[in-house]
Amino acid sequence: MSTAVVEYTRELPVVEGNPRASDIEAVIAAPLDQFPSRTWWIAFGVTTAMLGIGAFCVLVTLLYGLGVWGVNQPVSWGFDIVNFVFWVGIGHAGTLISAILFLLRQRWRTGIARFAEAMTIFAVMCAGVFPLLHTGRPWLTLYLTPYPNQHGVWVNFTSPLLWDVFAVSTYFTVSAVFWYLGLIPDLATLRDRTANKIKKLLYSIFSLGWRHSNRHWQHYERAYLILAGFATPLVLSVHTIVSFDFAVSVIPGWHTTIFPPYFVAGAVFSGFAMVQNVLVVVRQMFNLKHIITLDHLEKMNKVMILTGSMVGYAYGMEFFIAWYSGNQFEQFVFLNRALGPYAWAYWTMVTCNVVSPQLFWFKKVRRSIPAMFAIGILVNIGMWFERFVIVVTSLSRDFLPSSWGYYTPTVYDVGILLGSFGLFFTLILIFVRVLPVVSISEVKAVVGGAQPTRH
Amino acid sequence: MTDASFATPLVKKELPGSVQRLAWILLAAGVVVIAAAYMVDVRRSAFNNIVLFLFVTSLAGGSLLLIAIEYMSGAVWSVPMRRVVEFIAGLTPLAPLVALPCLLTMHDLYTWTNTEAMAGGGALHAKQPYLNLQFFVIRFVVVFLAWNLFYWLYTRNSLKQDTTRDPALTTFNIRMSAVFLPVFALTVTVTAIDWAMSLEPHWYSTIYGVYYFAGTFLAAVACATYIIVRLNEAGYLPGLRRDHYYSLGALMFAFVNFWAYIAFSQFLLIWYANLPEETFWFMTRWKGGWEYFSIGLIIVHFAVPYFALLSQDSKMDPRRLKFMALWILVAHLMDLYWLVMPTYSPTLTFAWIDLFFPLIVVGAVMLLLTVKMRRHPVMPIGDPKLARGMDFHL
Amino acid sequence: MDTQSLYALTALFDTPDDVVHAADTVASAGYTKFDVNTPYPVHGMDRAMKLKPSRLGFFALAFGLLGAFSAVGFISWVAVVDYPLVIGGKPFWSWPAFVPVSFELTVLLASVLSVVAMIVIYFKFPNNSHPLHDTPYMRHVSSDKFGICVLATDPQFEEATVRKLLASLNGKDIAPVYYVFDDINHGQSLFDPKFIAVLVLTAAVVSGATYVTFNKLLFIEPFTWMSDQPKLKAQKPSSLFNNGIGMRGAVPGTVARGSLPYAFAGKPDTAAAYLVNPLVPTEEVMKRGREKYLTFCSPCHGNVARGDSRLRGQFPNPPTLHSDKVRNWPDARIYAVITDGQNVMPSYASQIPRDDRWAIIQYVRVLQRSQNPKESDLK
Repeated sequence: MSTAVVEYTRELPVVEGNPRASDIEAVIAAPLDQFPSRTWWIAFGVTTAMLGIGAFCVLVTLLYGLGVWGVNQPVSWGFDIVNFVFWVGIGHAGTLISAILFLLRQRWRTGIARFAEAMTIFAVMCAGVFPLLHTGRPWLTLYLTPYPNQHGVWVNFTSPLLWDVFAVSTYFTVSAVFWYLGLIPDLATLRDRTANKIKKLLYSIFSLGWRHSNRHWQHYERAYLILAGFATPLVLSVHTIVSFDFAVSVIPGWHTTIFPPYFVAGAVFSGFAMVQNVLVVVRQMFNLKHIITLDHLEKMNKVMILTGSMVGYAYGMEFFIAWYSGNQFEQFVFLNRALGPYAWAYWTMVTCNVVSPQLFWFKKVRRSIPAMFAIGILVNIGMWFERFVIVVTSLSRDFLPSSWGYYTPTVYDVGILLGSFGLFFTLILIFVRVLPVVSISEVKAVVGGAQPTRH
Repeated sequence: MTDASFATPLVKKELPGSVQRLAWILLAAGVVVIAAAYMVDVRRSAFNNIVLFLFVTSLAGGSLLLIAIEYMSGAVWSVPMRRVVEFIAGLTPLAPLVALPCLLTMHDLYTWTNTEAMAGGGALHAKQPYLNLQFFVIRFVVVFLAWNLFYWLYTRNSLKQDTTRDPALTTFNIRMSAVFLPVFALTVTVTAIDWAMSLEPHWYSTIYGVYYFAGTFLAAVACATYIIVRLNEAGYLPGLRRDHYYSLGALMFAFVNFWAYIAFSQFLLIWYANLPEETFWFMTRWKGGWEYFSIGLIIVHFAVPYFALLSQDSKMDPRRLKFMALWILVAHLMDLYWLVMPTYSPTLTFAWIDLFFPLIVVGAVMLLLTVKMRRHPVMPIGDPKLARGMDFHL
Repeated sequence: MDTQSLYALTALFDTPDDVVHAADTVASAGYTKFDVNTPYPVHGMDRAMKLKPSRLGFFALAFGLLGAFSAVGFISWVAVVDYPLVIGGKPFWSWPAFVPVSFELTVLLASVLSVVAMIVIYFKFPNNSHPLHDTPYMRHVSSDKFGICVLATDPQFEEATVRKLLASLNGKDIAPVYYVFDDINHGQSLFDPKFIAVLVLTAAVVSGATYVTFNKLLFIEPFTWMSDQPKLKAQKPSSLFNNGIGMRGAVPGTVARGSLPYAFAGKPDTAAAYLVNPLVPTEEVMKRGREKYLTFCSPCHGNVARGDSRLRGQFPNPPTLHSDKVRNWPDARIYAVITDGQNVMPSYASQIPRDDRWAIIQYVRVLQRSQNPKESDLK
């Protein structure tokens, strides 16, 4: 019998091997009770070193001002904004996995949702550093919030930069609440199985006293659905508002109506690449291959083809409409991107974003760990370069040739980018030792035999 | 789980003769209306014809898209209902016929058909390699050839599977969907740009294809929802439950929101930058009475469906679903009218032509269903996922 | 001493089917104060327990509407009433630009407040002193078993009956759970001392940090580096220049923009001889002259040029301009006085442009005529 019949008439199990609930709990909770391995310490050393370099560069920036960066006229937004958009984009995959896949009733999300949500929160934290720093005087950030101040002035509610403040803070808050809500039952389970007094105290506090009561589960599930229902338009709105930073201007290459869905698709694309990369490592290190299965990774790769194609569609539309418009400034932008001084960035972007994900059409590539890992890295590089191309090329050459200029990042720009990766991975490494990376209760609920048989 | 567990034996059931008679009457009435309209006011009828064509194309293309998405995503809940969507996709060979009268009145419709104006230089001249009659027709032919090819392949495989129960046909359809999706993205964009956006050849918007796509998806889901709920209530789709309805309601709700998001994005960016070469398109829709229509569109297409389909229960309630499905179809028609007609008349003027032109679609769809249901089972009885689909619970 | 008071009787079940069936039976038997504890939500349990549907959705809707209306309301008030600014040429109430922030606040309030409401109102959390905590029952239901507990406060509760019922439903490990130290847990109070203390502490920390940042921190180095920049600003002293003044004077020979040479400095009679009033006494000229006179001249000369000024006592009063001497002066002689100054009166050349001086003179003539009118004027 061909395997096709098995796939269609039977539902594929979400967790392989049909483990018992107590086995699931044991394997997920194991890292929390063990001393970290040597590999973990080496990794932690590397990431904290990166973080340290970044911190040093941030310190220099704060002491001497933004002049130590490469931004100037005409390119007044450089690595700072490119990195901001990049990290916010990475965060979107987490919300998509936990919220949107939940609404679509895709049970395979249970193994990866917790980790993805944590990555969202960490990515948004990394992203938030950049707008704060790029103001020059981050200790005055409070002025961004509308409170009655001694100047008698309010913030400008019609500015997309302010919309960003509200969008990213809301995104961070709601993601954190959603993530925490999912953690409550797991923290209660950990509270009930730990012997360590300090851990028990901490788990008790943070689980709020959860008793696994079904009267509570009823409201809990409704709250989860409500949060998923709100988080979905929220995640679309956040990267849409980030795209508004560019699209509300009149700069050719920036002012184009397709930016909102294009940015959202791109964010999901890069986010999934990052999540897939990290999960490949995590499932290997913590023996979670039967919970984070190859099928799940394959599905994530399929999402990458889908969103990568959307990004490709947007590239095509921009190009076509630039020609169709007959607007010479618009047309020049695209010629300049491909042939001008930043052509190296443009072609890197096209190769990594449009060409490399096409390999995922082949099942063998989709199910090969080394191949998907490599493609994931290429996609991340490509998506970073996409933001670079959008931000920098349009600014470096716009309407008036006498205003053209070339932007070169300084060592501090690169150091802060490196530091942001350091921060991200350090937080992940701490997360895997302190909290369960897979949602224990959700996975228990989807193994075979977990739910009553229907009568 | 074999399909032996699928309890009710599925008998090909035809729609009652009264439905077929009504279909013929509506279809005939529709043809009469259109003929009369052309005799009374050619230009107005031609513009309404574009609206009708875009509407029928949305239903046809959107239905093909729904089929493709079901195959690509491996969805199970929609399998029992897929045959109905295939029937609606039967509009695909008929849609080009709706466009024929327009092809005879191109000069009344599109200013870029005026070759003198296009040769004059400037922005219009730059578009001439794309906006010329020959290339327009070629694109039109290619789009509908492609769609009909996929329609024929999808339905042939699905119907063959009724008797052979061969899962390889499903595999083929899945692989075909992987090709169809990018083709659809391109072709639906081309259709929107060619037929609607080029009415104002000076104006352009990169999100226009996505805008039309949002409306297309919504129309197809709404049409399918209405027919599925009606058929189920009349006993033609035994075994469907409220659980199956939920996803239809959720999709309608989700795409109402998506349409509003795309529409608002397009508007906000053009409003904010305030460039006269872009804003004039919206200004036309804010003067001469059109401002009331624009506000009405927001209320009809977004505000009402949003609150009507917000609660979980409303997404499963058959009465609510039927009403909102028809409401959304009318809203989509209103949307297309809003896209097209301001080019015809900068002042909002209604005529009987505008109201009755779309009538023909009702008759056509009813007739299509009658004919198809006489020949084919109304569920894909050979589909390997059918049993899981019938068994679907929320 | 029998001090233990019974909280509930608990039983464990091995399979989800068992526990759903058991819950259904217990609910149908009329028990209302009972609960089911499972390590994850079990499908069909809500129906089996005959629970009423959760009303949390209404909370979310209410909070969402609150967020939406308060956001739109506040932004509109700011943009239209409190501090209207023309931004980008758009009207004050530019609603499309208000949508993004309003949307975010809607989602924020709806999500966060719903969860808080659920935790505080529905769950009455945090609560770490519930009788079920730290029992073997809790340890099992936290991990891989399902449990039912029937509370002793249920009106139908009778220990033996309940025990038999649970056993008949396949319940294992049927065990009583007692209150610890007779500590009956009350609901959470909004005025709980610990909660109030945390609120007060948070308020103190936030206000303190804000105060310190804006009033102290910004004046400490290096945070002053941006406001106190080592660059030259007007009217600051400077060690670079010999005279210690940052502001440089004009280079000798600099001519002010629009200035013209005055040839009769110090020679009023020559000016009187050569200059002529170029202005014709029209109403417009008179109005201008009046306005300038009242502005510049009246403080010393008085409103009608009698010399009876408001500055009486602080400056020596000027002589009246209605003397025969002044009335007989040509216009240009008065012009010379304004331009050069005379005795205590300084030169007004830098304050009053030339044409305005002539206009003032026209007005002075009017005043002179008014103080010495002819018969014909009074008609």
